[in-house]
Amino acid sequence: MRILLVEDEADLAATLRKTLVESGFSVDLTVDGEEALWQAEGAAYDVIVLDLMIPIVDGWEVLKRIRARGDRSPVLVLTARDATIDKVRALDAGADDYLTKPFTLDELLARIRALIRRAAVSPAPVIRLADVEIETSARRVTRAGAAVDLAPKEYALLEFLALHRGTLVTRTVLYEHIYDDRDDSMSNLVDVYVSALRRKLGRGLIRTCRGSGYIIDAS
Amino acid sequence: MVTWSLRAKLLAWYSLVLVAVLATFAALAVWTVWQSGLRDFDSRLTATASVLARAINLDSSGRYEVNLTGPDLAEFTVSDEGPYYAVWTSAGLLIDRSDSYIDPASPRVPQVRSRGGNREVVVAGNQGALVLVGDSLGQFRSDLWRVILGFAAAAGIALALALGGGWFLVGRALAPVERIGETAEAMSESNLGLRIDVTRTEDELGRVATSLNRAFDRLQEAFERQTRFTADASHELRTPLASLMAELEWALARPRASGEYQSSLAVCLRAAQRMRGVVEGLLTLARADAGAIETQRAPVNLASVVEDAASGVESIAAERGIAIRIESVPAIVEGDSNRLRELISNLLINAVQHSVAGETVTCSVSTLGPTTRVVVSDTGPGVGSDDLPYIFERFYRANKVRSRASGGAGLGLAISKWIAESHGGHIRCDSREGQGARFTVELPALVGNADQLPGNDATPRSPEPVDVRVPNAGTS
Repeated sequence: MRILLVEDEADLAATLRKTLVESGFSVDLTVDGEEALWQAEGAAYDVIVLDLMIPIVDGWEVLKRIRARGDRSPVLVLTARDATIDKVRALDAGADDYLTKPFTLDELLARIRALIRRAAVSPAPVIRLADVEIETSARRVTRAGAAVDLAPKEYALLEFLALHRGTLVTRTVLYEHIYDDRDDSMSNLVDVYVSALRRKLGRGLIRTCRGSGYIIDAS
Repeated sequence: MVTWSLRAKLLAWYSLVLVAVLATFAALAVWTVWQSGLRDFDSRLTATASVLARAINLDSSGRYEVNLTGPDLAEFTVSDEGPYYAVWTSAGLLIDRSDSYIDPASPRVPQVRSRGGNREVVVAGNQGALVLVGDSLGQFRSDLWRVILGFAAAAGIALALALGGGWFLVGRALAPVERIGETAEAMSESNLGLRIDVTRTEDELGRVATSLNRAFDRLQEAFERQTRFTADASHELRTPLASLMAELEWALARPRASGEYQSSLAVCLRAAQRMRGVVEGLLTLARADAGAIETQRAPVNLASVVEDAASGVESIAAERGIAIRIESVPAIVEGDSNRLRELISNLLINAVQHSVAGETVTCSVSTLGPTTRVVVSDTGPGVGSDDLPYIFERFYRANKVRSRASGGAGLGLAISKWIAESHGGHIRCDSREGQGARFTVELPALVGNADQLPGNDATPRSPEPVDVRVPNAGTS
């Protein structure tokens, strides 16, 4: 899952980035509204975490503009502005969630997960695919009741395919959602992760559509 | 105590005055009618008496004879009612009278008198005779009463009409007051945008409404400024607090390497320092607002204050590769050296934060007559004309381009302004976008000590560059 983090407070941005990366997200960081607009246009983000008081173009305006161009990425506003009018303005401009600073990281992560779930096929926090069970809140995967140990990128890939089960996910989309701008991995790494997942979870789970991408069938 | 409405009070006064005017007018009119009526009455009696006087003859036997056959005297003979007469000899002997006349005493001559309800005229007749003619004033009096009653009725009607009209007019005139009251009543914290509907601006109440609306504008502005200030203060405190809490939560989530703890602690320290900066700034301004800060009053050499301030800012400047150049002459002002150093530090830090590596921030001190001037200028991006009027406001952030990394809490300039003003001076900023900013502080020079300074006369002195600080090897 790829997240665009728009935060001009350098220390907080760094903390958020390492927290999100540790939670298995790919994170792109921007420090002002103009850069955020540019960045959001270039990649498909699963969640945009947006501060309102950012330089050049403020957060409300960023929201308005990305919604105006048809971008439906879930946006979580993370700001120190706690007045009702600010919340109303942000939600009306197209925000999906609003969290005021100071906040706890646990709550932020839970809200991000909820936004991702809501954008997916089914909003249930636990996804069952035959004997495989994915617990998105704890990032835990079990097969026939036994815990399966997955590398962070393996989990990210599985979760993305599972959330979009029943639809074909192209390699390009996968790259967009599980890698951020700082990753410069080789493209065949996706194949490596897929084969690792097949080894751990059974061959039938992820189907290859030759030449275009992967799919997990809706059960 | 009964409280009267303004309308009732106005009407009460109005009718009091009206009643007084009408009563005076009626009294004058009745008096005039009475006087002229009485004059007519008297002259009629006198005429009758004269005719009667001529009708008295002394016959051959020396007896008086009254001939009542004249045309004007017929009424004496008709009845007991109406006019009566009496005739006396010169010796005071009553010789003839009407039946209704009963007082035999001889009157003195000549005269007009009121007796009982009657009016009597006495004139001298032929042969020294005295003639009295009298008549009852009853008819005249009742006529006068009718006049008075007529007046009273007319006055009553006039008063009623005036009161009714007055009630209506006063009500109409006071209606805007009612409206003003209703609007003011409806105004509340959440509804400060309400204004009195001013349709008639030319009359007094229109002007009152207009000035009230202006007062409401100012009130709303002050209220909004306060709200904005609170929101800004909260924002400035929450932001580092969020950073502090998030970093601590991250560090405590699982065991970390010691290098990670170290960098976490550094983040926490920076957040805490930022919070301290905001809190101290807010405290200073709050105490300044309350007038609770006593500034020391002692002669201060601004040149050395500038030296001090510059050496404090030097490390920040060097880190960014910015030089600070000082041009100063000794200049004595009266004030608090700590506050003045804070003022100049703030301006220097501000200038350094808005400069890029390789640029120079200049700080000069000069005297011009009774004024000591400190100028801090930079060659940074400057301040746009839209922002210029507000840069000394609390938490105001000029040009949104500036990232938070370069900015303080946004209180430095507000504090500087307060310090300059509390020293009897002022501060201003001249800038154009893209052409650097120039902050000028003007303080009254301490005249008593000015003589002690060599060469400090009334002619302006251009400062000589005394110190050029070259940045250390830039670490940025």
